[in-house]
Amino acid sequence: MEKHRNFLTLLAVVFIGGLLLSFVTVQDKKKGEAWDVPEKYQKMENPSKDDASLMKVGKILYIKHCRSCHGNKGEGDGPKAASLETAIESFTSDKFQGQSDGVIYYQSIIGRDEMPNYESKIPEEEDRWALVNYLRSMK
Amino acid sequence: MKNIILFILLGLFVSTNLFAQDEATEEKEKDKPVRFAWESGVLIDQQTSHIPTVKTLKMVIQHKFGPVENGHSDLWGIYAPAGNIRLGLNYVVANNVEIGWGISKRKMYNDFNAKWTILEQTRKNQIPVFVTLYGNAAIEGSPEEDFGTEYQFSDRLSYFSQLIIGRKVTDGISLQAGLSFSHANSVAPEYDHDRVGLHFNGRAKVSPQGAIIFNFDAPLKIDKISEQRPEWDNHPKPNLSFGYEVSTSTHAFQIYMGNSEGMLLQDIMMNNFNSTDFDNFAIGFTITRLWSF
Repeated sequence: MEKHRNFLTLLAVVFIGGLLLSFVTVQDKKKGEAWDVPEKYQKMENPSKDDASLMKVGKILYIKHCRSCHGNKGEGDGPKAASLETAIESFTSDKFQGQSDGVIYYQSIIGRDEMPNYESKIPEEEDRWALVNYLRSMK
Repeated sequence: MKNIILFILLGLFVSTNLFAQDEATEEKEKDKPVRFAWESGVLIDQQTSHIPTVKTLKMVIQHKFGPVENGHSDLWGIYAPAGNIRLGLNYVVANNVEIGWGISKRKMYNDFNAKWTILEQTRKNQIPVFVTLYGNAAIEGSPEEDFGTEYQFSDRLSYFSQLIIGRKVTDGISLQAGLSFSHANSVAPEYDHDRVGLHFNGRAKVSPQGAIIFNFDAPLKIDKISEQRPEWDNHPKPNLSFGYEVSTSTHAFQIYMGNSEGMLLQDIMMNNFNSTDFDNFAIGFTITRLWSF
């Protein structure tokens, strides 16, 4: 009986201790490190920069592949964003929009860590640039 | 019925040719396949022309509950003991070619299948339609005694082959028509070994990720290939299904109601004796999940 009581006391101490500890532990998402974008992508020209007809294609691709994490307006507040370890940069921010099209292409299509690779899901080059153009429209 | 089907096929053929003629006058240039014709390679029970990129693995989960005939007593078939499940894996081995395997609860079918989209509809109508071939061979896993006294392993085999012609009609509407031939090595004496069928299915998008979907399969009564004339007492019934599809980057989820218990296409074409009365309809869902390598 005494043994049981000791065991229950120990369990209670561990549980309450763990709970209290969680208040002082940092639960914020980690900030993503700076992207190491290969030079090839940094210098990449957007061949569809002024093609307004691709905006609809970009929007469809965004809704299908990106919205669940990046949110309706690109604020990084989609329903799956909460389960990620890394905070998502807003597409409306000056920091994001200040990057070249080639860098955005690399971040969106090649990806890294929690940002998946979309090369096989968006196989056509024109569609990839359509997505970049749509992200550009979110400023 | 036959006349209606012929009119539909003729209409599809004429309209696609009109588009093709308009474009024939334009200068020939490299034309790319249309985008977003289908969200999944499976539409309820049927196949679409959609094949993901090479080295993609697709898992297919299909489930049909029991018929809704008992109402709330078995939660419209959801708690009914009847029902069917098929689990399948497909892999894209080459551009527009996939092969797969699946296993079904009903008759414990193991099916080996292949699909090839030979032609893709292009944006400027140089090719006005999708043309797809699909085929499977299945091994029925029922106990030996179900096949009679002179059992042979080949009695378990059945086959399905299909030609599918489809078109993305507008940004939101895609339609397909198909012609199929089914064969089973062993059937009960009052059934036919062969069946020719027509297939119609499609989708209408109602939101960027949602679409209303339908499928209709008609087993044809062809006197010349039937072993049962003139009685025709056991002719299979058409399969009608309709539902809603939601798709994301890697998933397509379809929930529907349909009147066939089968999932394997030759089973639907040869063994569906449920009429299209509402009581025979059952709730079902089809999920596809993609992984790229």
